[in-house]
Amino acid sequence: MTNSVHDMGGMHGFGEISREENEPVFHAEWERKIFGMMMTSLGPFQVNLDNVRSRMESVPPTTYLKLGYYDKWLITLEELAIEKDVVSRDALAALMAGQDVQLTRDVDPFPADGMLAFLATGATAARQIETAAVFKVGDQVRARNLNPGSHTRLPRYVRGHLGIVIADAGGQIYPDTNATFSGEGPERLYTVQFQATELWGNEANPKDTVCVDLWEPYLEAARTP
Amino acid sequence: MPHDSHDHTDPPSDLALRVKALETALTRKGYVDPDAIDAVVDTFETKVGPRNGAAVIAKAWTDPAFKRRLLDDASAACAELGFSGQQGEQLKVVENTDAVHNMVVCTLCSCYPWPVLGLPPSWYKSHAYRSRAVIEPRAVLQEFGVDIPNNKEVRVWDSTAELRYLVLPELPAGTDGFTEDALAELVSRDSMIGTGVAQA
Repeated sequence: MTNSVHDMGGMHGFGEISREENEPVFHAEWERKIFGMMMTSLGPFQVNLDNVRSRMESVPPTTYLKLGYYDKWLITLEELAIEKDVVSRDALAALMAGQDVQLTRDVDPFPADGMLAFLATGATAARQIETAAVFKVGDQVRARNLNPGSHTRLPRYVRGHLGIVIADAGGQIYPDTNATFSGEGPERLYTVQFQATELWGNEANPKDTVCVDLWEPYLEAARTP
Repeated sequence: MPHDSHDHTDPPSDLALRVKALETALTRKGYVDPDAIDAVVDTFETKVGPRNGAAVIAKAWTDPAFKRRLLDDASAACAELGFSGQQGEQLKVVENTDAVHNMVVCTLCSCYPWPVLGLPPSWYKSHAYRSRAVIEPRAVLQEFGVDIPNNKEVRVWDSTAELRYLVLPELPAGTDGFTEDALAELVSRDSMIGTGVAQA
């Protein structure tokens, strides 16, 4: 989902930033478990990171704002398991109530050694693309005013605004199509630098800038005056 | 300071029960291996964290050739020190100078360079940081005790894609003769996110 509350850049009202001294990596055993489950199950579930981000953003906005960070991971994984017919909502409720539920194994999990190897190597989103770059470093571009109802990584606060291309990161998996399993559809990714005054008006410090990574379809050439 | 209940208060017990139910189901169905869960958790609790990034920064401060490689291809340079992997496949290091102070955020979720910083602190994932960092970075920095002069640029990097940013802080004054290990001690996690500075 695109125009929802996960797209927080520039919002007001969330108050001071609360920090915790000597914060532990996880605050509870259930956080450890949900993190580990998310990390290890995406392969067996045959979903990608963009699809998972899309699912998390699709939590209704009123709910999203009330949920803690790992609560969203839990809801996302529960709904994924239910949608993929791995377990029913009733079976989860029964398990929560301490009842035994007959569940038989139907896939092989990602093993610990494989998982550690994957963590250590990762999987790059960079892809070779044949098409020539439409923009080059130094070009002035405008972030398009796009409002798709599906996943995008074009934040609202840059839409319609002018910036300068400062880097070309080459072809990268395009989240807008990858999230819906319509293909990786790699597109060229640019880093675009916006003046704070362009984004936020003259109250902003004229020295300040915001750099945002934007795929080619998010951009258009700035019209010359 | 208001307590941010969104991120890490003690969970109602039903959260723990829900996770346990889901874990039981996914384990029995073969979607997760409890040993793999433990291995991943252990990695981020004991092996990967901001000390990795601090070692990278200290080396960049003492070894100009490494610094050049780091600014040119941070993933390759960090891999020289053994730091690589998921959420660090395409690392970018941005250098603080006397003209620019860099600061990193992910307004859309909570993207973060795991191999060099570990998992993000709660404040980085908070609605307050995600919303405010791009519109009022100087006010955010002041809350963190960092005052940037008005004539110096604050450059915010919003991690909207799969590039992951690490700030190379300025070398603090008064550190002549410090060893690489001693310098690494001066590099805080926040200084590599850009909400802090390295201090001697």
